[in-house]
Amino acid sequence: MLVTWRYRKRRSLIQSFDPRAWLIFYATFIASTLLFWDMRYQAIFLAMALIVVFTSGIRWREMYRAWLFIGGFIVFFSFLTFLTGRGGIELYREEHLIARFAAPFSILGWQPVLRITAEKTAYAMAMLARVFSLASMTILLPYSLNPAHYGVTFRGLGLPDKVAYGMDLTMRFIPTFGRDFNLTLDAQRARGYEIEKISGGLIAQIRKLAPLIVPVTIHAIAGSEDIIDAMDLRAFGVGPRTWLEELKYRRRDYALIGFGVLILLLSISFSLFGMGKFWVPGFLL
Amino acid sequence: MEAALLIENLSFRYRSRQELALKDIQLTVAKGEILLIAGASGCGKTTLARCINGLIPRSYKGELSGKIQLCGIDIAKLPLAKISQMVGTVLQDPERQILGTRVISEVAFGLENLGLPREEILAAANQALEHLGISDLRDRETFNLSGGEKQKVALAGVLAMKPNLLLLDEPLASLDPASAQETLSIVRRLADEGMTVLMVEHRIEDVLKIAPDRVLYLQRGEIRYLGRLEDLYHSINYHEVKLPAPMIVQLAKQEAKPQIFVSSLPSPEASDTPPLVSFHQVGFFYDEDKPVLKEVNLDIRRGDIIAVLGANGAGKTTLVKHAIGLLKPKSGRVLVNGRDTHTQSVAQIAQILGYVFQSPSHMLFAPTVEEELAFGPRNLQHSEEQIRKEVTEAIQIVHLSGMEKNPPLALSFGQQKRVSIAAVLAMRSRILVMDEPTAGQDYQNYMSFMHAILQMPGFEAIIFITHDVDLAVIFANRVLLMDQGQIVADDSPANVLQDFDRLRACRVIPTSLLDLNLQHYPRTRRLMSAEALAHVL
Repeated sequence: MLVTWRYRKRRSLIQSFDPRAWLIFYATFIASTLLFWDMRYQAIFLAMALIVVFTSGIRWREMYRAWLFIGGFIVFFSFLTFLTGRGGIELYREEHLIARFAAPFSILGWQPVLRITAEKTAYAMAMLARVFSLASMTILLPYSLNPAHYGVTFRGLGLPDKVAYGMDLTMRFIPTFGRDFNLTLDAQRARGYEIEKISGGLIAQIRKLAPLIVPVTIHAIAGSEDIIDAMDLRAFGVGPRTWLEELKYRRRDYALIGFGVLILLLSISFSLFGMGKFWVPGFLL
Repeated sequence: MEAALLIENLSFRYRSRQELALKDIQLTVAKGEILLIAGASGCGKTTLARCINGLIPRSYKGELSGKIQLCGIDIAKLPLAKISQMVGTVLQDPERQILGTRVISEVAFGLENLGLPREEILAAANQALEHLGISDLRDRETFNLSGGEKQKVALAGVLAMKPNLLLLDEPLASLDPASAQETLSIVRRLADEGMTVLMVEHRIEDVLKIAPDRVLYLQRGEIRYLGRLEDLYHSINYHEVKLPAPMIVQLAKQEAKPQIFVSSLPSPEASDTPPLVSFHQVGFFYDEDKPVLKEVNLDIRRGDIIAVLGANGAGKTTLVKHAIGLLKPKSGRVLVNGRDTHTQSVAQIAQILGYVFQSPSHMLFAPTVEEELAFGPRNLQHSEEQIRKEVTEAIQIVHLSGMEKNPPLALSFGQQKRVSIAAVLAMRSRILVMDEPTAGQDYQNYMSFMHAILQMPGFEAIIFITHDVDLAVIFANRVLLMDQGQIVADDSPANVLQDFDRLRACRVIPTSLLDLNLQHYPRTRRLMSAEALAHVL
């Protein structure tokens, strides 16, 4: 059976809008954020995202796991970017050295050197701000969208019935997969399996994950067959369907969509005029 | 009068199988009739149900011949959507059927698909909920419902489409006894109102309460018996399906005296010896305001064969998950072999306590049964020679000899369940814990492997969670009764099971076997199976 995300009705900014309006705003926000590399512009987007987070009414206790997981991931990769400068090379041609650390050893005649430059630092900071605003806006969605409205929301955004219901099932499949994974992990731990102690090369490690991966995958496949049967047995897909839940746009929803479109148009114009490109703060140079 | 269902010369073979799953079935069901479809696992019950609801040949491919008519209409050319308006199907496990996130959206799902006007959908859905007396669940989230509530919601979703015929595939399998009774009385009422009902079930005793008009007994895809329930007993092997105890007593009297069941566990130890597992004031919750366990105190000692009874959601699984350390208490402590579970890993505890999960599909992964069974002992670092011996013995106990090289994932559900039990038996833990070991098994199979497990040498204690009161009657020497996170009774089976009021308060329903045992208890001084009673009385 499909379970849902930990949605609760809350008095919050995000939940005061129609879910379709919020998804449209979300899409314009993401697209706009991706147009800039200037950390000053990114700071504006990050501030907007944080306002939404702090007014979401979701308690830290409810979402700290998601934050720790995604936050840890972002910080780790931003740090890696900072060390290597990977990805930023297309944005700047010359680099200004801030510090240089050479390893006191060499490997087969190659001495590892860490060059910290102003450009690498600025790039890592812009990257951090950019991905954090995207993640903040995305983490909130499962906590804030009513699962009962998934299908009708996608239908309302213009997708056909079957695709909209498919999206609804997909959204619920993710937490269901998580639950099944935990059940399998428990069942295998009870058989003396210790995931913490997996060792060996990459292939060996993947092989040793089979006790987890196989049952979870098979369960997912069997589960989807059940879902298809259950849908078939109740006449799904025979013609246009009625959606019991009704969504109605209010004035504030139109305002939100308008605001999102405005941000996107401004962002496109700014970037066409060459604004918001990669920028290095003067104090770093 | 036109028949609700007419089947002529129906045969079917699944594409992947050699043998026929159904052979030349002839059947006519009148409007308003309740037909019970019984038989052991693999007899073709579910295949017949799939032919009637149209999933065969539309979703399950194979060779189909013969004719099926619903209310005079041949269904061969009808689309599934049309058939689904005539036949309402409730699957064995409501978990596998419910799609909606909220009760009202689940009940309305079929009507939404038919594209009816919104007002009409709401009216029909509300009416279905009201009819089953579950209007109060209307706005609840489906995944937070209890098993019994889920079953009723699934039924409401089907009834809202106003079918002519209701097809129930083992609807009682995942329910606690009280929920099963409630479902049965709803079905009886629907039949009284004119609904034709086909119910697939192998626990005949449980279905007697709805007084089915006829029984269809299948064996290896063929009709073995079709007629009144009263005459069924003379035509079938009473070991294959669960009959009422007085009936078994009559039949068993004509057979040789069975061996009196004796477990090979040591005799129960006195309460001053150190326990194997000990719960001290254990409390547990997921949400602080909804405790799942409340101040549980329990000692499990050598020689205990404990049956844990109670409603769905009473905390039974949570209790045993604490014993193996998969859950740690929020208050109090659990000691296994004298050591706090907080200080031991699950793998360490697994050497002492083997735990068979409820669902086999969450653990099976290996390419062969043999390798599946070797996985646990290998994790516990048993020697290869020892593992071979453990695997062979475990396979014999669960009757899977000859299937050593088969992939577990390709076996039937009942066989997979037995593999999952064998996988834990092979670990040779000192304590065996089984969560609903008999779910999805046919009667003959589970009775036989329960006997074998209890006679297997090496266990110091066995604990099983069950909805089947008869298992407690036959096999346990101690019964724990749980209700709302607390142990409300912990004593010998006779002492716990004779308090019918308390049992009912915990949604446990006395069975005919328990009744019969208690009637003769002053003479027998112990509880036993109907076969054994036949030779004592």
